Amino acid sequence: MSSIKVWDLPTRFFHWLLVLSFVGAFLTAESERNRDLHVLLGYTVLGLIVFRLLWGFIGSRYARFSNFVCTPKVVVLYLCQLIKNQAPHSVGHNPAGGVVIVLLLLFGIASSLSGWAVYEDIGADSFTEWHELISNAMLALVCIHVAGVVVSSYLQGENLIAAMITGKKLGDVNQAITSNVASLAWLVLVMVIGLWLWAWPAAKDLNWLLHMIVWWQ
Amino acid sequence: MKQLAIGFLSLIAIAQSLRAEQPQDIILSHALQAKQDNADFLGFDSHRGEQFFKSQHNGGDWSCASCHTDNPTVAGLHTVTKKEIEPMAPSVNPARFTNTSKVEKWFKRNCKDVLSRECTAQEKGDVITYLMSLNR
Repeated sequence: MSSIKVWDLPTRFFHWLLVLSFVGAFLTAESERNRDLHVLLGYTVLGLIVFRLLWGFIGSRYARFSNFVCTPKVVVLYLCQLIKNQAPHSVGHNPAGGVVIVLLLLFGIASSLSGWAVYEDIGADSFTEWHELISNAMLALVCIHVAGVVVSSYLQGENLIAAMITGKKLGDVNQAITSNVASLAWLVLVMVIGLWLWAWPAAKDLNWLLHMIVWWQ
Repeated sequence: MKQLAIGFLSLIAIAQSLRAEQPQDIILSHALQAKQDNADFLGFDSHRGEQFFKSQHNGGDWSCASCHTDNPTVAGLHTVTKKEIEPMAPSVNPARFTNTSKVEKWFKRNCKDVLSRECTAQEKGDVITYLMSLNR
């Protein structure tokens, strides 16, 4: 096995933009002073996940749902193998990780839509508690996701966090994706930053982020 | 049959009235808490509540009135999002102070923004007493 390209650039940009937006939304949830920023980050979460759902059907090999959504039987079998430390190596997401990712996407949509209902005063405050419950459940899913990544990294002897930055994982040369789809990734990034600048003048302070990402690429 | 239906409906109405909280109930529970916090508790005062509502605290730049305006019988305006906030006075907005958990949730959230701490039962009781004293 050698180091091959597995995660295309749109998938990686989506991942880290979602991390930033979700963590930011959590940090701005407690005060009315940050309400506008919180709502903006919630819209960003929704937009990003809508993109990811589309990308799950038309994206490159390992970004597609068909690559990592497995039947319950396969997932249970994988977990049993994992306990015995006999889990097979997955080039993309492993079956258990796939479950958490689908849940994260669903809870992300539920969280942002319920938050939107709260903000627009739909349903006379009845969505407030749902919004908090769903968002806390999503935080729990994030913790499970991170724990899974750390455990798998250890068991596989492969840094999976670095893989989501570089896009590279271990696999056979013929398993590599053929295109990084970089132009679409930059379009996504420009759209997200454009939304922030348009919706929230203070977002100009986030220009450093743009420089950082350009430097990273 | 008709009598049965009327009896059934009045049972529901009684159950509803037992369940729905009134601002007085919420004031009472704050009075019990205030008495527990301070043995010298002398009751709530609408003037003190009004003063509290309209002033800034602990060097902060917001008061309650920053969003709810100096006149709680009219709609307020969120100073950050510019969204309308329904009036706080129960005389014009009877839905106010009818749900303890909602009241406590918003006191907790908003007191942190205005005072950088949670409000005491005395302060909350004074403010509700003030809002209750306002006529349309």
